Amino acid sequence: MTLKVLAIDDSKTIRKIVAKAFSTYDCDVAEAENGVEGLSVASRNKPDLIVLDITMPVMNGIEMLSKLKGQPELKDIPVIMLTAESGKDNVMQIVKMGVKDYIVKPFKGEQLIERVMKIYTLEPKGATAVNEFSNPFFSVFDDVQVLTLPEKPDRAAIAEIEGNLGTALKSMASKGLSHFVLDTKKVKEINMLIIKLIMAVVQACEKNKVHLRFVGSEGLENELKGFEETSRFTIHSSVKDAKATF
Amino acid sequence: MSDISKLDLIGFAINSTRDVFQTMLSMKLNVIESRLPMKSPNKIVGCVSFAGDVMGNICIHVPSAFARVMAAAMLGMEPDEIEGEDEVSDVIGEVSNMIGGDLKSRLCDAGLPCQLSIPSITRGNDFVIESKGWMRHERFAFQQQGHLAMVEVFIKTVN
Repeated sequence: MTLKVLAIDDSKTIRKIVAKAFSTYDCDVAEAENGVEGLSVASRNKPDLIVLDITMPVMNGIEMLSKLKGQPELKDIPVIMLTAESGKDNVMQIVKMGVKDYIVKPFKGEQLIERVMKIYTLEPKGATAVNEFSNPFFSVFDDVQVLTLPEKPDRAAIAEIEGNLGTALKSMASKGLSHFVLDTKKVKEINMLIIKLIMAVVQACEKNKVHLRFVGSEGLENELKGFEETSRFTIHSSVKDAKATF
Repeated sequence: MSDISKLDLIGFAINSTRDVFQTMLSMKLNVIESRLPMKSPNKIVGCVSFAGDVMGNICIHVPSAFARVMAAAMLGMEPDEIEGEDEVSDVIGEVSNMIGGDLKSRLCDAGLPCQLSIPSITRGNDFVIESKGWMRHERFAFQQQGHLAMVEVFIKTVN
């Protein structure tokens, strides 16, 4: 789940530091410049977490927090206060207002992430990309991962497919899938680039213990018989037929 | 209420400036004792004020070229990647806010409750800030990457 964070600070620099701290995690960071704007964004976005500065023009963080706590639909959003003031009275006031945590400036992004980790589990961005993997060449039908090659795959398309193959396989593993169909039926001409890609798919599937089937023309079958790694494969005429053999 | 003449204002200011530069900019300060106002052909000054049982200002004076280096360090960029002077002003304002926030906390903990203002920025060529009627006026200079910068504190009690 993407964590929705709202960073409220009149300093663009601090908002950037906060956004950067979350940039390697599956988080969507919205920003606001003061308490008034912050309340408006919070009402609209319903964030999972608010990082709130205290000293701001228009409406400061203390006032915004008290208004936030007065709104039933927003009062339970965890708030981490950022403050330049570490004084005892200031800290006591913040704690009494029901914030989840506070950070005294100067601070490092890592410190903020540590505090957030006490409230939420942050998933690295890559992990989410695996779980929610999406690419025009890859699709999942009935628990089978299908890689459909275009009519004329050029170098760029093949590079994109090769670049996404590992992520597709990881995504399959995360979903407990183990069936892969490589559909070459649209391909007009089998050239060395495509053979190389097919070899890469075969090797990657073997390495990941994924069962592989091919869909394509008779011409492809003849091509594949010429290579040791692919000679054992039968070519199916449709994805449906290929799926039926798993 | 504490006697402000006994407060180690310069020690507070040096420690908090060191902490801000170390944490936010990964820069180690080389502090130089100085009683002279900083003169620079082109500089930027970030100030925050505090008011309550004590009144005062804390200002950081930085040559413009060094301010750009500071902005880049704080944002994790190269100096030539800084888009405009607004970003530089924002960083200097935030640095003054952090130094001032720490000083304000120490004053409050010493029994001198006060509130902090938002930062203000002054830019210009060859100017000196003169402020009169304060009970204490302290300043220190520091050197960083060949640039000379200065922090000064003005303070007085309110009856």
